[in-house]
This record gives sequence, C-alpha cells and structure tokens, in this order.
Amino acid sequence: MEVKIVTEGTTTTVSFIGRLDTPVSQEVAAKVEPVLEKADGIIVLDCKEMSYISSSGLRIFLTVRKAAAAKGGRVIVRDMNPDIRNVFMMTGFLNLFEIQEG
Amino acid sequence: MNEPKLDPHCEAILQEYRDNLPAFQEKAAAIHQTLKDTLAGAGLLVAALECRVKTEESLAGKLALKGGKYASLKDITDIIGLRIITFYTDDVDKVASAVERLFTVDWENSVDKRKLHEIDSFGYLSLHYVCSEPDFPFRFEIQMRTVLQHAWANMNHDTGYKSGVEVPREHLRNLNRLAGMLELVDEQFSRIRMDITNYRRKIQALVASGNLDEVPLDGDSYRSFLQLGPFDKLNRRIASVNQAEIQEVSLLAYMPVFKALSCKTLGDVVKLIKEHSEAAYQLACYQLGLTDLDIISSSLGPQNICIAAILKRGFGAEGLRLMFDQIGGTAGGNQALAEMILEQAQDLPFMNQK
Repeated sequence: MEVKIVTEGTTTTVSFIGRLDTPVSQEVAAKVEPVLEKADGIIVLDCKEMSYISSSGLRIFLTVRKAAAAKGGRVIVRDMNPDIRNVFMMTGFLNLFEIQEG
Repeated sequence: MNEPKLDPHCEAILQEYRDNLPAFQEKAAAIHQTLKDTLAGAGLLVAALECRVKTEESLAGKLALKGGKYASLKDITDIIGLRIITFYTDDVDKVASAVERLFTVDWENSVDKRKLHEIDSFGYLSLHYVCSEPDFPFRFEIQMRTVLQHAWANMNHDTGYKSGVEVPREHLRNLNRLAGMLELVDEQFSRIRMDITNYRRKIQALVASGNLDEVPLDGDSYRSFLQLGPFDKLNRRIASVNQAEIQEVSLLAYMPVFKALSCKTLGDVVKLIKEHSEAAYQLACYQLGLTDLDIISSSLGPQNICIAAILKRGFGAEGLRLMFDQIGGTAGGNQALAEMILEQAQDLPFMNQK
C-alpha cells in the first residue's frame, strides 16, 4: 500500500493506493500520524485508489476523526468505491464521516 | 493633538502612572486570564470579556478635568478596567458572584446601577465593582452587563448625552423608551431560557420514569433517551457476531429518520426498536458474518433498525437512499448502496415473513 500526503494551505490530503489491510496497517498508521498534528484544519482521506479496507484500516480512519474532533477540524472521506462504501455501511461508519464524491 | 495643561500635582500623578505602566499591564493580563479561566470553569458562557489599561492620553484628560479630586494615583480606580458582557441578565449576578470570590470588592465605591432606577425611570443598567488584590497596590474596575445593556450604553454614549451638550428632550425620551424595551427583552430572554430548562427537566424526569409514550420526540427528549442506551442490547448482539469492539459515537443523526418513520413520541421509537431488532440483527449477521471486521460503531444498531423498518414498510431502495442522504449527506453512491442492501435483504427471513 502506498500513502501520499499533500498539504495545501490548511488542507491535507492523504491518498491511499492499494489494499489497506492488517499487514500494512502499522506502517500506514505511522505514515498518517504526522497528519494528526494538522487535525485543526481539513483532512481529506482520498480512497479513489483504495481497493480494500480492513478493521485496522477503519481504526486508522477513526484515529484521524478523533484527532479532528479534539482540535475542531474536519475530516472528509473522498471517492470511496462501492466495496469500501459497503464496509463503511455494514460497520456503521458511514455517518461518522463527511463523504464526498469526485 | 494638544496635550492638556496639567498642574504639578496632576503631572506627578501622571508620572506615577508612567512608572507603574508595566505593572498595570501585567496585572490587567493576569486578572483577565483569571476571569477567563474562572468563567470557563463555571460553564458561564459570556458574549465578551474585555480588558484595557487606561492610556496616558485618557488619564491626562481625566486629570485635566478633575485632577484636584485625586490625592495620588491610588485614588483613580479605573486605570485597569474590565468589562464582562453576558447574554442573559441572570448571568450578570452569577458573574458578580465569581468576581466577589476572586477579588476584594470595595463596596463603598461599587455601584449596582440596576437598582438605582425609580419605578418610572429607565436607562443605563450595569453592575460596577471596584476591586483590589492583596499583592497589588492599585484598585481596578470590573463592569458587568448584558449584551443589550451594552448596546444601549453604546448608543447612548454616541448621542453625546454625557458630554454636557444638551440633547433635545424628545431624543432623550426615545432613548429611555428604548432602555425600557431592552429591559423587557432581557427579561424575556431569561424567561425563555428558564422555560427551556424546565422543559428539559420535565422531559428528563419523564424519560427516567419510563413514561415514554408521553414524551414528544424532539432534540432534547431524544438526547435524554439516548442516555438510557436504547440500542446497547442490539449493538452488543451484533458485535458478538465477530467479537467486535464497539466505538461509541453520537446517534443524534438518526432522530430525523425516526421522525420520517412516523415516530411522534419516544414510546414510538421504543416500539420501532422492539419490532425491528431481530431483522436488524439478521441483516448485520448476513453482512458481517462472512467478514473478519471486528470493529463497529454504535450507530450500526439504529442504522439497521431504520433499514429494516424502511424495507418492511415497502419503501424500498428509494427509502434507503433517503435515509443515507439524511444521515450522511446527499451522495451519488447512496443509491447504489441502497440497491445493494435491498438485494441482500431479499435473502433474509424478515423480508420473506408474512
């Protein structure tokens, strides 16, 4: 899994490319951690090229959400494919995030 | 700008001010912070907390006008001035209590202008304390008033009423009429707040006593209802499918969906939960059973209750899409999601029971 982080002004976009499954989750969490410092702005979690998300992946999203809630920021989950959206729905995560489509 | 000519006595007071200016600034910042922390700690929301140290120019002007009145700088109590502006008139008294606890109030020089008015007069209403602290040789002033009193005082100030210029009687009368009206508005705001608080208490009591059929479904009642954990049992049952952990989240977003499902009272919501819990569980088993997802949010219970109610009432994919639009915002993917759930549900017992 590849993680790209781009910050423009107060918006930080984290793009997940590939499978966000349990084996890679620790490495991904470490890459995302510095982004939590910017949780007072807007964090976009771009899922356009994410093909799979596991519980560990959901926990990373949840960590970002908690940091943003604590710092008064905003989290946007962008461009989920139908499978990812389904995972969010069946775990009750769908209404935890602001969801955008490209 | 012309500096006012000061006599040697006043000039000495002004020099004393210059010598102590850093101490005034430091003290003002400390008092400001103390008040800010205390009000926040007491949960008192105020419209503004202003703090200023009198400028040299302003002090010189004051001394030029009435410098003979003051023996030394210590007699001038408004070098440091703070103003606390509250939303509600009741809060002025609460703020005053906090100030009394924090500082020593010089009662002889403090004024409650709210009590000065005769029954047939209206005007500037403010509570004004002259305070001191043991570690600081100078006194300071704290003014407390509501937003409306503040607005009136500013408007009144703009008319030049206090500048000695005579304002036509008609204008003064209009200002006083306005003061009377604002006093009534302040009272009404406080009364409305009290009514809302009483309503909330009544609803909480009804919820606690279990008389849910008598409680209309609204934001306040639903919030109290959630404290009873109405979806906990279902969420725990769903979580047991994969031994999942449950992330507690706000469930307020579902209130409009329950309303759309014709729930008018909390009793109706309870009936809906009872009626559709089994179907909600069947749906979760079907969706999660073959996955290794071991985390769910506490919104899964109400979400699946609503899905089951929508499907059993025949609202179909369109009903589901409207629900997802309501709880998470309109998104194109909601239609596809709704259609997929409808398709999944066709295999479930609750959709096939007559």
